[in-house]
Amino acid sequence: MSLDLKLDGRSEDRFGTMAQGLLGTPADRPEGVLKVTGAATYAAENLPENCAFGMLVRAPGQGKVTAVNADEVRAMPGVLAVIRDERMIRNAAQGTANEAPVQGVDHAEYVGQPVAVVVAESFEQARHAAQSLKITTEGSPGPVDPDAVEPEGEPTRTGDLDSAMKDAVHALDLTYTTPSHSSTPMEPHAAIAEWDGDRVSVRASLQMLKYNRNELADCLGISAENVRIQSPFVGGGFGSKLGITAEAVSAAIAARELGRPVRVVQHRRQAFETVTRRSETTQRIRLAADAEGRLSGLGHEALVSNLPGETFAEPVTQASAFAYAGAHRVIGERLARLHRPAAGSVRAPGEAVGVTAFECAMDELAVKTGLDPVELRRRNIPDKDPSSGKPFSSHMLAAALDDGAGRFGWSDRAPEPRSRREGEWWIGSGMAAAFRVNIMMEAEARIDLTPDGAVVETDMTDLGTGTYAILTQIAGEALGLPAESVTVRLGDTDFPPGSGSGGSWGSATTGNAVWLAALDLRRQIAARLDCDEAELTLRDGQATCGNVTRALAEVLGGDDLRGHGHITAGDAFEDVVQSTFGAHFAEVAVSDVTGEVRVRRMLGSFAAGRILNEKTARSQCHGGMTWGIGMALTEELTHDRRDGHMVNRDLAEYHVAVNADVPPLEVHFLEELDPWSGPMQSKGLGELGICGAGAAVLNAVYHACGVRIRDMPATPDKVLAGLE
Amino acid sequence: MATRNEVRFILNGEDQAIRDVGASDTLLDFLRIDRRLTGTKEGCAEGDCGACTVLVGRLTPQGLRYDTVNACIRFLASVDGCHVVTIEHLRGPEGGLHPVQEAMVALHGSQCGFCTPGIVMSLYALWMATATPSVTEIERALQGNLCRCTGYEPIVKAAQAASAGKGQSQDPLNLERNTITKRLSDLRDGARVEVAKGEDRAILPADTADLAKVLEENPEGTIVAGATDVGLWVTKFLRPISPAIHIGHLEELHEIAEDDAAITLGAGVTYSEAALTLIMTWPHLLEYWDRIAGWQVRNMGTIGGNIANGSPIGDTPPALIALDATITLRKGGETRELPLERFFIDYGKQDRAEGEFVERIRIPKPAAGQLHAAYKISKRRDEDISSVAAAFRLTVEDGTITEARIAFGGMAATPKRAAKAEAALTGQSFDEATMMKAAATLPEDFAPLSDWRASAEYRMRAAQNLFRRFWYEKGTDEAVRLETA
Ligand SMILES: Cc1cc2nc3c(=O)[nH]c(=O)nc-3n(C[C@H](O)[C@H](O)[C@H](O)COP(=O)(O)OP(=O)(O)OC[C@H]3O[C@@H](n4cnc5c(N)ncnc54)[C@H](O)[C@@H]3O)c2cc1C
Ligand code: FES
Ligand code: FES
Repeated sequence: MSLDLKLDGRSEDRFGTMAQGLLGTPADRPEGVLKVTGAATYAAENLPENCAFGMLVRAPGQGKVTAVNADEVRAMPGVLAVIRDERMIRNAAQGTANEAPVQGVDHAEYVGQPVAVVVAESFEQARHAAQSLKITTEGSPGPVDPDAVEPEGEPTRTGDLDSAMKDAVHALDLTYTTPSHSSTPMEPHAAIAEWDGDRVSVRASLQMLKYNRNELADCLGISAENVRIQSPFVGGGFGSKLGITAEAVSAAIAARELGRPVRVVQHRRQAFETVTRRSETTQRIRLAADAEGRLSGLGHEALVSNLPGETFAEPVTQASAFAYAGAHRVIGERLARLHRPAAGSVRAPGEAVGVTAFECAMDELAVKTGLDPVELRRRNIPDKDPSSGKPFSSHMLAAALDDGAGRFGWSDRAPEPRSRREGEWWIGSGMAAAFRVNIMMEAEARIDLTPDGAVVETDMTDLGTGTYAILTQIAGEALGLPAESVTVRLGDTDFPPGSGSGGSWGSATTGNAVWLAALDLRRQIAARLDCDEAELTLRDGQATCGNVTRALAEVLGGDDLRGHGHITAGDAFEDVVQSTFGAHFAEVAVSDVTGEVRVRRMLGSFAAGRILNEKTARSQCHGGMTWGIGMALTEELTHDRRDGHMVNRDLAEYHVAVNADVPPLEVHFLEELDPWSGPMQSKGLGELGICGAGAAVLNAVYHACGVRIRDMPATPDKVLAGLE
Repeated sequence: MATRNEVRFILNGEDQAIRDVGASDTLLDFLRIDRRLTGTKEGCAEGDCGACTVLVGRLTPQGLRYDTVNACIRFLASVDGCHVVTIEHLRGPEGGLHPVQEAMVALHGSQCGFCTPGIVMSLYALWMATATPSVTEIERALQGNLCRCTGYEPIVKAAQAASAGKGQSQDPLNLERNTITKRLSDLRDGARVEVAKGEDRAILPADTADLAKVLEENPEGTIVAGATDVGLWVTKFLRPISPAIHIGHLEELHEIAEDDAAITLGAGVTYSEAALTLIMTWPHLLEYWDRIAGWQVRNMGTIGGNIANGSPIGDTPPALIALDATITLRKGGETRELPLERFFIDYGKQDRAEGEFVERIRIPKPAAGQLHAAYKISKRRDEDISSVAAAFRLTVEDGTITEARIAFGGMAATPKRAAKAEAALTGQSFDEATMMKAAATLPEDFAPLSDWRASAEYRMRAAQNLFRRFWYEKGTDEAVRLETA
């Protein structure tokens, strides 16, 4: 009934032999029309009849929580309930948690923790009542400064880095810092919950429904069968919607208590606090190199933070384990338990900040050794994983470096910093390598084939990443159907569990499940034609086997067929190291008067196995590079030094890149098939574009004006202070 | 005077007459919750993201004028007499998708799609205004829209592609222009509008004289002009503003008058309305003006509001102080005029009596020998509040500076003149050494603060460096402005 595949080794490329010609084309999104007309409905928008409006209330401090005037607020016009329920969650669950996060409303462990939900007949009444609910906290705040506590964890040591540093011709010991970041998808977190007997349906904005369902059930203390979650459209996630979120849990609790549907939308300022941020990092990077710039050792140690009770520690050094050669190594994170809002995954957890800092350090080594930065990286490409000794499934760094350097015109660059000036502006360029581990999850999908076409169903989500488009293409390609004959339905826990969206694995993992479901159907079709599946050609609704061609509808002969696919990662992800690779190049201008930085152009060359859809792939890389610009120049969550609260928790002061910050971006893909990555030979691409992008910008700043910024972001005050 | 107790406007095609309107009700919540028009999104509820962009058309002496606005901070009461156009109203010349929408699909200008309706509305407004927009015009139209997914480039390309199609004359808003104009003029009954939801009251005075009266009757009222500050008091800080006294609809306050000596702006003139006149007269304001907020906020926010809020970091006060502007305040029938810099007394304290309002701003025209500049420095290039804003007006005759007016924002508790620097310049020869000597006096006049926008040291040093930039630009031919390139 289901075609199961555990990836234990290389897979054969089946798509090279398919005939429809749909996969790999830059197809439009099938849901695009709904989005441009405003008809795509997001989590807060399908208001059921008789829906009440809930608003979360935050703790203004840490410690024991008291709601001083709950009774008064209950008596306000339109107010239906003031709920402080111990099942409410402290912060969003971590990705793939699959169980409730820390719960409770009696003790605030960080400033901003949701400690009540006020429900009223209208949104305005709820807003007014929530504002009127006076919450006090007592007790002294827990530690909020990463340097003030003894961190947990130890890095992994291989060889003797201290000696390697002493013996090295060129040794660098540098510290970089990155601030907390916020994912800030444009759709704030929202949910509408409605009960039917013991069963709750929640319309939410979440990334990983099969886990979210279990998480919500665990929060509420009910069985997962009684939970349905729908997220057909998600207005961006970037990690912030991986785990179940505060508004979904409180909407479900309130709806149960009131016996009517309840909508809870997080105000943008609340979403900043209750949803996991990217931890701030302090990264000590050591590089020991010989006269030719070959690394004998490297150290990458990071201090990150999280709330007590959270399992997540920003995996800053994830790529450093395999990025560059060097026998003597110290690599790993330490975790400080702090009472700042919870930390968790934000786009490319680990590499986004880790590769960025490391690639800045590599630039400093290039300067020190007098080597061209591209050449320095080429010299240090390992032939096997330096940490484990395992082979790479493929290694495309050299190709990406060469491709990018050639297209960017890197060879025209004067090696010396401060070589070019136009008026008050220093002009320079920089580069960085990009790495991101390739992850495979478990996923299922099914396809129903009828004379009208195919319907693909999985609880996989589309965050704007292009899942609707890509799954349409995969199914259409494998089943010989034009895109118009394929319908993809996503984001409903009533469908088979997909992988969820996160960690770039969505298209590759769930795509492979859809391929398996299609293969299941291909076998059924072949059996009906009495031929071998490998001999079967499906194209434009026709099935051909040998010299027999029949219309698919005829082959179905009145039956509807169902295919089911199930993929799991196996030894293919143990025996070899799988990664995507790339190279970033940037040109910037730095004002000698104000220290402002303008990125003038940026180019990336990327390798991620088969590119399933050039348009959506390019979009992902554009987005990632734009985040890199933000990380390098503007994005910074500031925590208050006394109680850790987020000072700039809004879009006015948390500066994501605006159009004017983003120059023309060039994206190129290298041709590659990676047989270890699964039958589609394709690897995750959603996050590669951010990894290292910021370093290319910061290295360009150095090259332009000679100012090295090690504490990100490179705001005008830091740059100007360095310009003497 | 007649009083009406309902708000009347046109929503897409339909007439609306609503009695139950509170001061704090926003247009966005009305659209999304009451009317279930959920195509318009809410991303921030404070004017930053543009997801809520809609068009608001209103009658002006020059005819029906449509502007993009942020529905999240636009109060519902203030659309009285207007035509509100949401994404649901868009269609192509032959039905189906509008050319902007088609291009957004084809060029992948939409990923998660949440910012998309707002972006479509901004580009639609641009498309209506300009058949073949330049990249600069497209970027200006997009300043007030954030997108976290696309990196913007596909959106810029979509705007270019959409403009290739033309078809403006066949667009429903143009075809219906006369009918809508007629319907809107029919809504004008010259009455004062007073609406309420419970205790939450909003008043739209009938005219300026009536405004003076309303203010005397309600001295505790909140004047609401473009609501780009007051809107946030409600949506972000959840503060009551009742009774809200709206002035954005008062035609007299939108007047721009010009005579030989000066340009006079009504206090209700928006940044966008003022742009053309100001830039024609003072070309140095071109770039500066475009860096105030984004398009939607510039279409809503008024110069009067930017002055009256008394903020030390508002962008127009330094520019206007350097230009020697004066303002007229009115209470009842009484008016008084004072130099703009004298209006700002201290942080949060202005020279304005209860019940008094800013009526107009007068800016003397440029004279021979004047060199002008205005600079905004912010952490982010667009949609950001200034760390430092500076404006210079130096009169140079035969190489000698005969008069200097220099004003800074972000350097003190109020917008403030650099008195010492001005004195150091006056009577001296215009050269780099003089400029840098004047810059060196800034610490005597200013002790800026450190906050998350910028440190005190940075503010001081950047402010001083701007004297150097001024010299480069005006005294040498070495200047390169990347921004306009
Ligand atoms: C996203 C965003 C970006 C922004 N960016 C900038 C920027 O870059 N630079 C900048 O300077 N500002 C910026 N602002 C602030 C804002 O645009 C200005 O302060 C604006 O000029 C206020 O004008 P308004 O008409 O909207 O005033 P309102 O919000 O209506 O009123 C502001 C204050 O002035 C009072 N008031 C208004 N008119 C009068 C009057 N005629 N007489 C007496 N009192 C009056 C009101 O009672 C209130 O106290 C931004 C705002 C937003 C939301
Ligand atoms: S919702 Fe963000 S500007 Fe209105
Ligand atoms: S498409 Fe997602 S925010 Fe713009």
